[in-house]
Amino acid sequence: MTTAKTPRRAKKLPMKQRYSLLTRDLDWEPSYVEREELYPYTSYEGIKIHDWDGWEDPFRLTVDAYFKYQAEKDKRLYAVLDSFAQSQGHLSLSDASYLNAIKLFIQGVTPLEYQAHRHFAYLARYLEGPAPRFAALCQSVDELRHCQTQIHTISNYNKYYDWFHSFSQMHDRVWYLSVPKSLFDDAMTAGPFEFLISISFSFEYLLTNLLFVPFMSGASFNGDMPTMSFGFSAQSDESRHMTLGLEAIKFLLEQDEDNVPIIQEWVDKWFWRAYRMSALVAGMMDYMLPKPVMSWKEAFELYFEQQMLGGLFPDLEFYGIKPPRHVADAVAEKDKLSHEVYKILHNFSFAASFTTQTPTPEKMAWLSEQYGEAFDEFYAPTWEKHRRIEDEGGRVFFQGLPQLCQVCQVCQVPMAFTESDDPTKISFRTSEFKEETYHTCSDGCQWIFEREPEKYIQAWLPVHQILQGNCGGPTVPEVLDWYGVQEGDNGEYKGSRDHQSWLEWHGETTEKEA
Amino acid sequence: MAVKALYEYDYPAADRAEVFGDDQLVYVHWIGNPLFCSAAAVRVPKDMTWSAFVADVVTPWAQTDPDFDPSSITGWKLFDDDFAPADDASLTAAGVGHKSLVKFTVSN
Repeated sequence: MTTAKTPRRAKKLPMKQRYSLLTRDLDWEPSYVEREELYPYTSYEGIKIHDWDGWEDPFRLTVDAYFKYQAEKDKRLYAVLDSFAQSQGHLSLSDASYLNAIKLFIQGVTPLEYQAHRHFAYLARYLEGPAPRFAALCQSVDELRHCQTQIHTISNYNKYYDWFHSFSQMHDRVWYLSVPKSLFDDAMTAGPFEFLISISFSFEYLLTNLLFVPFMSGASFNGDMPTMSFGFSAQSDESRHMTLGLEAIKFLLEQDEDNVPIIQEWVDKWFWRAYRMSALVAGMMDYMLPKPVMSWKEAFELYFEQQMLGGLFPDLEFYGIKPPRHVADAVAEKDKLSHEVYKILHNFSFAASFTTQTPTPEKMAWLSEQYGEAFDEFYAPTWEKHRRIEDEGGRVFFQGLPQLCQVCQVCQVPMAFTESDDPTKISFRTSEFKEETYHTCSDGCQWIFEREPEKYIQAWLPVHQILQGNCGGPTVPEVLDWYGVQEGDNGEYKGSRDHQSWLEWHGETTEKEA
Repeated sequence: MAVKALYEYDYPAADRAEVFGDDQLVYVHWIGNPLFCSAAAVRVPKDMTWSAFVADVVTPWAQTDPDFDPSSITGWKLFDDDFAPADDASLTAAGVGHKSLVKFTVSN
C-alpha cells in the first residue's frame, strides 16, 4: 500500500529575507510611464539622490509582524482604560485643573497625529525607494492609531468634565491652536524632503522628548493612568519614527554634497518652528500641572542642550551640518519662556477652551525655587498684582473685542516674547514685502518669513480673521460659538463648573459657599 | 529666496490693506506693563482722529489695568520713532498706516 507523500511545508524564512521579499523585491522599474511621471515630487526641491537603495531601514518590519505587535499593545491599553473607568479613576487625579493640560493635548496634538497620518500616506506613495516608502507606510498607520487611541483615552473624561466636544473643529479655528495647526500646514505644503526634515527630524527627533515626555510624565505624576498608558503604547512607534528622522537626514546628506546647504536651511527653519510651538508645552509644564514633573528649563537643558546639542550635533558635524541658526536665542530664553507663554493663556482664557488661574502660593514657591531671581524679579510681581486684583473681586482678562492681541506672522503665537537680553522689552521685528508690513516675534521667525515671504503672507492669522469678520461675528460670544466653545469650557478655573464638581465629589465646598 | 514650487507661486496677502476697506489694523503696546501679555490689535477707521483713537480705543483697553490713568501717558512712539500727532489729525494724516505699531509710556 502506498500513501501519498505529505507535501513538505515551506520553511519559514529568516526575518531579513522575508523583509526583503515583502518590500524591496516588490518594487519595479516603470515601463509604461517615465520615472518622473510616477514620482513627480522628488526633484523640484533641489535634493539629489543617486541611489535609493542606500536607504537602510533599521527595523525591517513586515506587515504581519507590525499588526501583531500593535494588536498586543492595543489590548494592554484598552484594559487600562476599562479598569480606570470602572474604578472611577478620574477621582484620584491630583486635581481637576490638571485636565487643562489634557485639553491642550487633545485640541493641539491629536489632530496633528491625523495630519501626520495623511502626509506619511502621501510619502508612502511618492518617495522613490521601496525602503523609505514602506517606513512611511508604517508611520502613516501608526499616526492613525495614535490619533484613535488618544481620542478613546481622553474621551472617558468627557463624561464628567466640560470641554472634550468639538476638539477637531477647535483645532481648525481657535486662536492658540493655529500655532500647531499652522506648523503642520507649513510642513505639508512643502516638498517631501522638507517634510521629512521638518516632521521626522526636527519635530520627532530633535524636540520629541521636550514635546511628549512632559505630557506623559505629567500624566503619570498627576494620576492620569490612561494618558500615561497611551504614551507607553506609542513609545515603541515613536522610537521607530525618530530613527526614520535620523535615517532620513543621514541618507540625504550622504547622497550628494549639494544637499548639505539645503538641509542646513531646513534644519535652521524647522528647529525654530518646532521650538516656538513647544512654547505651549513650556507654559503647560510649569503652570498647568498641579504636581509638576520638572521645570521647562530643566527639561530643555536635559533633552535639548545635553542630548541634542551635546550628543547629536557633534555627530552631524561630520556631514557639514551646524547647530540650528537661532539656537542661542532659544538657550537664552529658557528662564522666561514658560512665564511669557502662560501669561498669554491667562490673559486670554476667556476665549479659549481651557481654564487658567493665577498660580497658587505653593506654585509660586516652586517656580521661585526652579527659576530663582529670574522669576522673583520679573514675573512674581505681576502675579501678585493679579492676586491683589482678584482679592478685590476682579479678574484681569485682556479686554475682549474689538481689542485682541498682535500675533506673529510665522509662529502665530501672540507677540509676547521679549528680547533675549532684556526680559522687560517685547521683541518686535518688522519686515516689508510688496508694500505691506509684517510683524514677527523674534529673529528666528523674521528669518523664516524673509526666506519665503510669498508663503507666509497667506497665513490665516486668527486675530486678523476675527477682525475681518470671518469668525462668526463681531462679538466675543459669536466668536466663541463659531469656535465651538461652550459655557464651562473657558475662563477662570476657580469657581468653574469643573472646579465646583471636583469639590462636590470630594466633599468640599467652594469658597463662595463656605 | 523664493518658494520652490512646481508652478508659478504668487498669491495675495491674507491681510492686505484693501481687505479692510476704509478701516485698517493698528497695534497698541503699553511699554513696560507686563500685565498685558502683548500689544493689542484693533480695527479702526483710517479717518478716525488721533484724540478719538486715544480716548475711545486705547483708554478702555488700558483701563483693564486698574492703575491706569489716561493723564499719565508721557509719550508715544510710532514703531521705534518718537511721535506726537495733533489731536485732530486723522490716523492717516498722523502717519499711522495699516498694521502700524504705536507704543506709549506712562509716568509712575
